[in-house]
Amino acid sequence: MEPVTLTLMIGVGLAGAIAFIAGIIEDAESDAGSASNPNSQVQLAPQIGHIIRYYDKAIAGEPPQNGLWAASACTIALLLSWRFADMGIGQYYAIFFAAVVGAAIVCLVQGCFGVFAHLSRIASFSPFKQPLYWDALLTPLPYSMGLAFLTALLLTLLAFVTSGLLGNPFAPPLLALLFGISLGSIASGTGDIQYGAERLYQHHIFGSGIPISKMGDIDLKGEYGFRNSVDTPYFCMRLGGTITAFAFGLIIFLDGWTRLFTFAGEWTSVILEAIVVAILFIFLVWLEKFTRDSYGPYPGQEDL
Amino acid sequence: MDPIAAMIGIIIGGVIVGICVHFIPASAVGAMSASTGIATGPSMLSAGCGLAGLYAAGYSIKLGLPITVASGALGSALMIICTMLLANAICAFGTGVAPVAGTYDKDPITGWRQKPFMSPGTDGHSMPTTTALSGIIGALLGGAGGSLVFASTYGMLTEVTAIATATAITIAGMVAAGVFLVNCVLPAYVLVGKTEGMTDPKMKKLPKTLISCIVASVFTGVFIYAAVVVI
Repeated sequence: MEPVTLTLMIGVGLAGAIAFIAGIIEDAESDAGSASNPNSQVQLAPQIGHIIRYYDKAIAGEPPQNGLWAASACTIALLLSWRFADMGIGQYYAIFFAAVVGAAIVCLVQGCFGVFAHLSRIASFSPFKQPLYWDALLTPLPYSMGLAFLTALLLTLLAFVTSGLLGNPFAPPLLALLFGISLGSIASGTGDIQYGAERLYQHHIFGSGIPISKMGDIDLKGEYGFRNSVDTPYFCMRLGGTITAFAFGLIIFLDGWTRLFTFAGEWTSVILEAIVVAILFIFLVWLEKFTRDSYGPYPGQEDL
Repeated sequence: MDPIAAMIGIIIGGVIVGICVHFIPASAVGAMSASTGIATGPSMLSAGCGLAGLYAAGYSIKLGLPITVASGALGSALMIICTMLLANAICAFGTGVAPVAGTYDKDPITGWRQKPFMSPGTDGHSMPTTTALSGIIGALLGGAGGSLVFASTYGMLTEVTAIATATAITIAGMVAAGVFLVNCVLPAYVLVGKTEGMTDPKMKKLPKTLISCIVASVFTGVFIYAAVVVI
């Protein structure tokens, strides 16, 4: 096997694995902070008389927020890695240590962002008699910061892997921005459904959907005590996080995988990607049929 | 690439990006399984899928315009089909609802009835076949448009300036990402947070998007031309 192909194969596997883990962690981070679209339910709750203890740092869309963390961490990491390399540290060690420092700085910024976002959110609920509970802020805050650190670290490493091993010509900070925004929109579109439609509404019947009239009637009690934002990611990681990870990991892995072959020259990856899209579309139709056959129509709606 | 042709490429690419947002099914209320579409705002989702296409197009930038545009389109389509497939999976296994559209009674492709499977009080959930196909068409358009902006800017930079190739690629990527974000946000004013793609009645408002995107893209294209060629 040619060394170039071997490097590419290692790069594709590594990028896919990092993307997979980043998907799980990013989804958990957004769930821990009630980010993205389910935060509308957390905001509605005080308005219908529910006093909540959720940590709510949703003052920006998940994709741009995540893009900011990833791009900031990667920019710091790139500059530091040059400095570390000048000091005589080996290239790979320099990148790894610089990525850790970049992610650590971003983690502190995310903590400040989270504190002020939560305080301003709760302050806006004051007409609805929602108190500011310090435990609702201080308990999930370090957890959320830790998840933000891991997300920024993994996306920074992913940017360096795709740039260095896979040969993407973009600078690593731009790649981190692209990955951050893409992963944010994927996590928002897949994993957050389990938080918004299931975890927040566990006292509703499974499979009943969430009618508009029930919105805001979220869970207030957890497995023990009041429901808080530390409870959420451990539940959502099992399916929501894994699904997000599959989506992002598959995209990065399959995109790299199609570039390993050369049977049709320069057009090989385009042809293979078209085939993969067609196969996944067939899976989608099959899944729709399987779901309809498994659940059947809702009682009383068979003849609609 | 001739700078004038590159400027026209940037304008056309920007307009195509604006059109793509109408095709991609997305709804913020989808996060509560209360509406058809991917569970996030149409603008942000389109930006996410377009930027994934840009990442794929980056690999092919030195191979010419057609292959760069095709790579971007397919990279974007790969992102959207993965997201839709797994969003349907989480709706099926995580929240217990089947894919149902709110804008048609029978799926035009499969012929499956929709209303019996719609949970009471909601407007649909996840993506049935026709809605998913609309998403793929939108992603192909968006990826192609973004890559066209990327390749045109890169062509203009290499033709006129003497900056290093790696720098030119990154500048072109940043311009394409910026054009993408501008033209993805503009349709939000007519979609107001929800669309089911090509079957949605909001498709009739496409001309409004078209005009606003043409105006924004002309400004962007002329500004980039002025920055690279004139100044």
